[in-house]
Amino acid sequence: MIRTDALPKARGALPYAPDVELPGMLWAVYVTSPHPHAEIRRVDTAGAREVPGVVDVLTAEDLPGLLPREPEPTRPLLATKVTRFVGEPVALVAAENLPAARAGASRVQVDYRVLPAFTDLEREFPHWPTPEEMRSHPQVNAHVHARRGDFDQVAHRADHVHRERYQTAMVAQVPLEPHACLARVQGDDWYVLTTTQAPFGIREDLADKLGLPQEKVRVEGTWVGGGFGGKNEALLEPHALLLSRRTGRPVRIALTFQEEFLFSRTTQPAIFWMESCLKDGKLVARRTRLLLDTGASLPGRDFALGYSLGFTLGPYRLESFELEGYALRTHRPPFGPHRAPLAPQCTFASEGHLDSLARDRGEDPVEFRLRHVWRPGDRTALGQPVGPFAAEAGLRRARETARAWKASAPPGHGVGVALGFWSTGTGAGGEARLTLSPEGLVLLQGEREIGNGSIWQGLPEVVAATLGVPPAIVSVRYGDTAHAPFDSGVWGSRTTAALGYAVAKAAEGLRRELERRAPGSGPVSFTARDGALTVAREGRSYPATDLMTPEERAEGGLRVEAKHYGKNEGTLEEGLVLEGEMFPYSDLIASVHVAEVSVDRETGAVKVLRYAAFQDAGKVVNPPGYRGQVEGAIVMGLGTALTEEGLLDPEGHLANPGLLDYRIPTLSDPPPELTIVALEGSLGSGVWGSKGVGEPPIIPVPAAVANAVADATGARVTVLPLTPERVSQALRGGARDPGGGRR
Amino acid sequence: MTGEPPLTLRVNGEERTVPEVAADTRLLDLLRWRLGLKGTKEGCRTGGCGACTVLVNGESVLSCLTLAREMERQEVTTVEGLTGTPEAEAVQQAFAEAGAVQCGYCTPGFVLALVSLRREHGASPPDLPTLANELGGNLCRCTGYYAIVRALADLLGVPVTSELPKSTFTVEPGGSP
Repeated sequence: MIRTDALPKARGALPYAPDVELPGMLWAVYVTSPHPHAEIRRVDTAGAREVPGVVDVLTAEDLPGLLPREPEPTRPLLATKVTRFVGEPVALVAAENLPAARAGASRVQVDYRVLPAFTDLEREFPHWPTPEEMRSHPQVNAHVHARRGDFDQVAHRADHVHRERYQTAMVAQVPLEPHACLARVQGDDWYVLTTTQAPFGIREDLADKLGLPQEKVRVEGTWVGGGFGGKNEALLEPHALLLSRRTGRPVRIALTFQEEFLFSRTTQPAIFWMESCLKDGKLVARRTRLLLDTGASLPGRDFALGYSLGFTLGPYRLESFELEGYALRTHRPPFGPHRAPLAPQCTFASEGHLDSLARDRGEDPVEFRLRHVWRPGDRTALGQPVGPFAAEAGLRRARETARAWKASAPPGHGVGVALGFWSTGTGAGGEARLTLSPEGLVLLQGEREIGNGSIWQGLPEVVAATLGVPPAIVSVRYGDTAHAPFDSGVWGSRTTAALGYAVAKAAEGLRRELERRAPGSGPVSFTARDGALTVAREGRSYPATDLMTPEERAEGGLRVEAKHYGKNEGTLEEGLVLEGEMFPYSDLIASVHVAEVSVDRETGAVKVLRYAAFQDAGKVVNPPGYRGQVEGAIVMGLGTALTEEGLLDPEGHLANPGLLDYRIPTLSDPPPELTIVALEGSLGSGVWGSKGVGEPPIIPVPAAVANAVADATGARVTVLPLTPERVSQALRGGARDPGGGRR
Repeated sequence: MTGEPPLTLRVNGEERTVPEVAADTRLLDLLRWRLGLKGTKEGCRTGGCGACTVLVNGESVLSCLTLAREMERQEVTTVEGLTGTPEAEAVQQAFAEAGAVQCGYCTPGFVLALVSLRREHGASPPDLPTLANELGGNLCRCTGYYAIVRALADLLGVPVTSELPKSTFTVEPGGSP
């Protein structure tokens, strides 16, 4: 079935956030810091105010009286006294039109005193630091240390200890639609129309940032031009709302692509020190030490480290392990979630390390994985029981494919395999409201379709299948957060799986209600006739709307509501020695990928020719949507693997904040041959036993490519992305990163 | 903004006079904010993504890199003007059917670029590799391009050739050990 939003989008007929306007609207633009770290001595806005058309200028000084409560100095909405990264908002200028706003912004004078900046993790930490160094390090945001057993003792008795260092780069989500919003404050109604993956999350974030009760904040989502994790947080909305409050006018803010790279939320570099112990041919222990650059993130708000560390152990049985990591606050762009946050990076380190260990021993890396991979009934490193998990099945399929490709590939090509695992956000809750009305079956949603098809296609399919009717009679309508039922948002690969669960319950509820109301006692069946739900029982059939009460008719229909709050994700094992915070997993999802590459020995250029993905699906709910997610995720992962890298110049400025220098895949880049197999059967906790799909297929991509390069050349590239420069350096036998610029 | 001259151009077949068009106004902004044609999407504004593609005298141009004043007496066609023509409908339908529209933000740009490519060659329409090559400046972050290539192939009624991205998708049992 064709998605009903596809043609209107192709005709340019659907409005996105950058397209919306209101009469009397002001345009606001940011004045941002040109320095990674500087003291703000003075902000002079007089020149800006003289520009014809400028209506208002907002600086940190204006905030105290404006917010219902004092802003916290550690979490400034605008830079106060110091700037912490290039691109940090220092002021906003609102004007009657965009040229006036820009002219005004250029005339805001900020007197900075430049301070020493910490922007280069590698230079700051050439080695894993000692506990003493870190105890007094001013930039430590979070520290996690978890272990079972004594790694050093195991290493002492081991036959072999394999040690490597891996490093990953700054990458950005780069949806084609930049962030934009339009705010209008009228009395106690703080209303904002915005491009977001999570209207209710934005509402909570705004209430928190502005010190307002949630009821006063009303968020309405627009059609979203791609999210990929970057549209979960209130970014421009607080500023637009504050300017609207001050001016009494609607205020529009839209970011430029340069601003997207600088102060939307991106992934920053990480360094991994990996150690694995072998005893009698068996992997018995692993230690990961991770330094994670979390950019100019806010003190005490770190989820990334505790969530990602566990992925560096891989889904393998280990007798003992040690994980230690520091999240470091630096003067780089602030860190935020990006499609399976940090999992592609952790898996690049973990699966590259495993691959090189197996190859060093002369063992087939897939066989090595099969000897150690978790099977249902095992326990994860953190001590949770392993539930349904198709990693072994995926590895067997990958082994078959890798052998066939190896046999048919021309000499010089390499074939690599990588196994990624993930745990999705299916534990986060959602509520559904399904209405039987004269217009058909209508679902009311807070979040708009963001592109993956989960809201617009997945949810109607769940309703339709539950009732046994075609999806065409189910439609989705949108409401703002004051009207739509709560949902956690379109993130964490959760929407079809988890919100779909609530939607299925609502459809079941409707079925039961109609069965109760239909005259007679035989079995009830449903069909669609002229776009309307029709009920049949004992040879009689009539429109379902005939069963509505007069009150329901007056109120627009028969409304059924249902909630689904996922299972608790379990607890970490007792006896695990843990400092800091780590998080248990929900459903475990495997992605096993195979890549065939050619490597140009002269230039170091890598070409991916064949690619296969064996995905642990549980159950596929929306096949075209599933396919689209896997195709898109793999190509995005190839960008992370081969070309995408935010580079800093020596002064700490991002050197390539735009599409001409930060290279995302184009039409000529994807592998010409891609095989996707969704393996059903290891059921997850989503509707019908489904597992999430948005994130899992990006996870093993960089590792699969690097492992294929190692197979082709014998050289292991341990730094992302695998640029021609790094690959040719590795081919010449250089063990260290040649640097492709500083990260 | 006062004192700037007006601009007269043809947009989607209609003559339009826009008062006070500044010398640095981009065609993209003129179309979106002075003429209300929001189907032309604003992406990177630096010529790197193709989302703002429009036709000028039938040829595709990036409206973010084109100065509005250069359009004096020129014929500009946006997605709104092209929609409803058989050539645009064919492209739009092919994209929709192939699953090539996810977030949809890049789609109008692809549609305009494609229509122009297919028109340019008149009698001998470009083949699939040529089309794919010419679309290198139109970026899509959602689909990984597989569905877009499927749409192009469907449009031409040909199979996807060996060097272009093509995928197979199967749902199989066997996911339990």
